Amino acid sequence: MLQEGSEGSDRLSGQQRVSVPIVQNTDERAAFDEVFVPHMSEAYRLAQWLTGNASDAEDIVQEAAIRAFRGIKNFGAVNARAWSLTIVRNTAFSWLAKNKPKTVVYLNDLSAAEQQELEYEGLQGTKVETPEQIALFKADAEEVEKALAQLPTQFREVIVLRELNQMSYRDIAEITNVPIGTVMSRLSRGRELLLALLGNRK
Amino acid sequence: MALLKDDDELLLNAYFDGELDPVSAREFERRLERDETLKARHDRLQKLREAVRSIPQTGMPAGLQARIQARLDAERRNNNNVTVLRRRTWSYQALAAAAVFGAVISSSVMMTMEQFGQRDSVASEVVAGHIRGLLAPQPYDIASSDRHTVKPWFTARLPASPQVPDLAAQGFSLLGGRVDVIGHNPVATIVYKHAAHTISLTTLRSGQSVPDQTVSGYNVRSWSDPDFTYVAVSDLPGADLTAFERAFSKAAPAPEIK
Repeated sequence: MLQEGSEGSDRLSGQQRVSVPIVQNTDERAAFDEVFVPHMSEAYRLAQWLTGNASDAEDIVQEAAIRAFRGIKNFGAVNARAWSLTIVRNTAFSWLAKNKPKTVVYLNDLSAAEQQELEYEGLQGTKVETPEQIALFKADAEEVEKALAQLPTQFREVIVLRELNQMSYRDIAEITNVPIGTVMSRLSRGRELLLALLGNRK
Repeated sequence: MALLKDDDELLLNAYFDGELDPVSAREFERRLERDETLKARHDRLQKLREAVRSIPQTGMPAGLQARIQARLDAERRNNNNVTVLRRRTWSYQALAAAAVFGAVISSSVMMTMEQFGQRDSVASEVVAGHIRGLLAPQPYDIASSDRHTVKPWFTARLPASPQVPDLAAQGFSLLGGRVDVIGHNPVATIVYKHAAHTISLTTLRSGQSVPDQTVSGYNVRSWSDPDFTYVAVSDLPGADLTAFERAFSKAAPAPEIK
């Protein structure tokens, strides 16, 4: 390596410092500003919901931003929002898997029966409710926030993406990388779990 | 009063989320008018939504955006330093030679760095696909132990689809397949089971090299044939992945006509 170059570099004219990669970087930087930056605060909230923690969310958004910047060449100009949130979501999951493996319920670690029960069988489904009982439901923001934080991650994320980010099923399927049918059953199941948690409070 | 059937529950949610087509939506509305329980459930979902949406949303912490921009600047500066270090100046001749030399070296360094970065991210994306697979109710989109079901399923979805051998005789039974997105390209992933362990075998365009490594606790092993570069991910020990590679390579002959 030609370390003494720094001394000589003072005598170089300005143009010679301009090399092709800088130009590319500038373009990539502009693309990044256009594609990722507008969704950054949304990304931050998603990360916060997935990790349950503000400072972890900050780390994740930073890492996701760098991943997005490095991968900006691969952005296909289709849906910048879904693309950005996908990166954040995946960064959050790898981060959780690495740093807090216990907080993510891996469905595969459960027995087939437990999986079936968690994913499909209704808590509500076994209970016959009258319209009057159903109409009694009341919840405030604080209670719902607590209940939502308790949901298993894969249900929490679809509810957050649907209700707070107001994404379509299609976009949620893309971001969470599952078929639309799975998004539908997780949303329905997640809402049931949420209602059950809220029903059991007091 | 009847319990809501599962399908009704899904339909109710889809209607509530505005995801039904207009005809089905109108049909469902007529049912809502007649069915008190259904209507009550619908209204409860609405109350739940209002409560969820009333959760105060925190904004981004002050300075986060600036910190991110600063890190990207730092990243850019690091890249540029690679070129800055290549400068020599004693004479124009030397300068010219150095410029050429420097350009060649720096571009190859840049390329290597870039390739390294890509490889790195390929491995982590493949592992991310595996982890997502494990998080889903099942790690595959098409479940079948029949290679003649899985292979056409890939063929219908992807420009290039790999051979899908069942290696049950060698201890690796075929569970199914899914499509992963690696570097924004959809690729085929074949899912196998060995004892209680899931193996995801992701097939990439041939000619990529992904070093064997461990990512987030999962072993990654990669090999290539003329048609694909394969990346196997599992929590199995490396030796078992080697056995898997051997079984797969033996069973997957150079593909016939695609």
